Amino acid sequence: MLLKKEKWSAFTQALAAGRLWAPVKQDGAARFAPVAAGETPDLDYDNTTVPAKTLVFPQTETLYRYRLGQTAMELPGPGEEAVLLGVRPCDARAMEMVEKLFRWDVDDPYYLKRRALTTVVGLACKEPGANCFCPSVGGGPAGAEGMDLLMVDLGDAYLLETVSGKGEALLEGVKDLLEAAGPDAAAHKEQVVREAAGKIRRGVDPAGVPEGMPGLWEHPLWGQNAAACLGCGTCTYLCPTCHCFDIQDEVEGFDARRCRMWDSCMFAEYTLHTSGHNPRPTRRERTRNRINHKYNYFVQKFGVIACVGCGRCVNLCPVNIDIIEILRQAKEAL
Amino acid sequence: MDLEKLRKTAAEIVSREDVKYLIGWRQGTFGYRAAPCFVEDAAGAAELTFSPLCSANLATYLTLAEKLPVPRGKEPDSRKTALLVKGCDSRAVVQLLVEKGVKREELVIIGCPCPGMVDRALLAEVIPEESAPADLKWSGGGFVLVKNGLETALPRDRVLAEQCRLCRHPNPVVSDILLGEPVQPWEVGPDGGVDEIEAKDVADRWDYWEEQFSRCLRCYACRNACPLCYCKDCILDRLNPTWINRAVNFSENTAYHLARAFHLAGRCIECGACERACPAHIPLGKLNRKLAREVRDQYGFEPGLDANAEPFQAAFKPDDPEEFIL
Repeated sequence: MLLKKEKWSAFTQALAAGRLWAPVKQDGAARFAPVAAGETPDLDYDNTTVPAKTLVFPQTETLYRYRLGQTAMELPGPGEEAVLLGVRPCDARAMEMVEKLFRWDVDDPYYLKRRALTTVVGLACKEPGANCFCPSVGGGPAGAEGMDLLMVDLGDAYLLETVSGKGEALLEGVKDLLEAAGPDAAAHKEQVVREAAGKIRRGVDPAGVPEGMPGLWEHPLWGQNAAACLGCGTCTYLCPTCHCFDIQDEVEGFDARRCRMWDSCMFAEYTLHTSGHNPRPTRRERTRNRINHKYNYFVQKFGVIACVGCGRCVNLCPVNIDIIEILRQAKEAL
Repeated sequence: MDLEKLRKTAAEIVSREDVKYLIGWRQGTFGYRAAPCFVEDAAGAAELTFSPLCSANLATYLTLAEKLPVPRGKEPDSRKTALLVKGCDSRAVVQLLVEKGVKREELVIIGCPCPGMVDRALLAEVIPEESAPADLKWSGGGFVLVKNGLETALPRDRVLAEQCRLCRHPNPVVSDILLGEPVQPWEVGPDGGVDEIEAKDVADRWDYWEEQFSRCLRCYACRNACPLCYCKDCILDRLNPTWINRAVNFSENTAYHLARAFHLAGRCIECGACERACPAHIPLGKLNRKLAREVRDQYGFEPGLDANAEPFQAAFKPDDPEEFIL
């Protein structure tokens, strides 16, 4: 289906009748924020600083509330349906990947509930960023994995492609605003996607890396790349596939809650034992783990590289630690 | 800066038996980035560079070095660390010396007079950042971007980093070897960023910081990038007792940023590392510069200039007027 751009405002208004999230730009960076009735989201952005995962896997999430000295627990409510508008293919694909983890040994009710309540309206990329490398890891500027609906900007209109039943249902609700796509729409889309893919300058072919990782365990590349690492959590917190969390009880007076919050394998206390022993004592081991988790362990367990090539960790590392460069070195050392 | 001289000097120093490694900058892997690098031998010195992209404060690495337990029967590595410093890096070194965070005899300091660094985001507004590493130079009081042999002049005022615009000490205040001629310090105008916040009333100031701190991800990039945030046991990492909850929300985030700002009052040397590292674009420089301004105005003290100074927050004078005590 086609959505003419003059109907964009009406389209988003129709979606904003429910809970709608879309990227907003503030202080030079984009982030997902709720769209109020009367506001029109602007999709002119490369990618949000914080990935869309934060909307299905919030940084801090209350698991339940309780009062000290009492046994009753208060579970969170049933949640609300939401539409995420303008999710980039890398972020949508990452949600699908993280879901594999949250479905693995036990179904994680919190993640899966949010995922079920969320309709992801993706947006194909036209202007990839300087560090985008999604094609290297099985993605692409118009990949629809993890989406319910894909939007492709054809200039004067968006081409809307349904990916799931949820996407179909969403379109059904706004069908008066749409028109059938003409016979040349598919070719036009292909051209847009090809042009976007042609603008991606960075990348590395990871073939052989997952299998080769164990052989590189003691390779000097880990120490060399970790030498400048500050040990902050930027790379992991901004990674759309990083999913580690910690669980803490937080108490105020007699009111308490058990919550989970993102954790980062780049922090020293992540693996710190009560005894004081730390099996990953330095940033070398932590960096090695971060790359191995994405390019080795996750592949062994779920058959897919847990990196979607969004480039955030490269772009925002304060000291230019570059996963593409690390992979290039790993490949060379195989 | 004569890069050949820099590399030659570095190669000589790193070849010395009493030097463990040299910390410098190399070209980044993409766009407007330079990366800190550790040079362990003379050959490695060839990758060193000094350009308007070398904003990272290398003094951070002095206290970040990981010391693993020394195996029984072995001597600890007592060799020196060599370090390239700009004005701000050198002030961080001096402050570390004041606090006995590092020892002077463990350092070989190579001074790089600094004409100012570019701000990556401002530069990207003028010329979009590309995947290939950019080649940037100082030229004629401004900056020049070299691409395919073509030079594009960039006006200094347009792309100079904020902390550099406000810098009063562009030349290293301590060094064993100074590379090149000292630069002429420039006229420092008013700190518009801090003035703007001071002009707000209390409620507006609160709203401003609420908006900023609410964005914080608590990735601790600001703390870890700061050359003077080096407590071995940081209250943020403590779980028992938990001084600041792990939960990420405005209240806890504010507690974090205010704790850090106060711990840096009279110590912060205004290098801007915190703000540069922040992925959420929180203007941390304004917060730290406000406290630095108070310390300067109220006590006439500027940290990181004199290695024999008393540590500001630890000093006590019997004749302190203590006007704030009722």
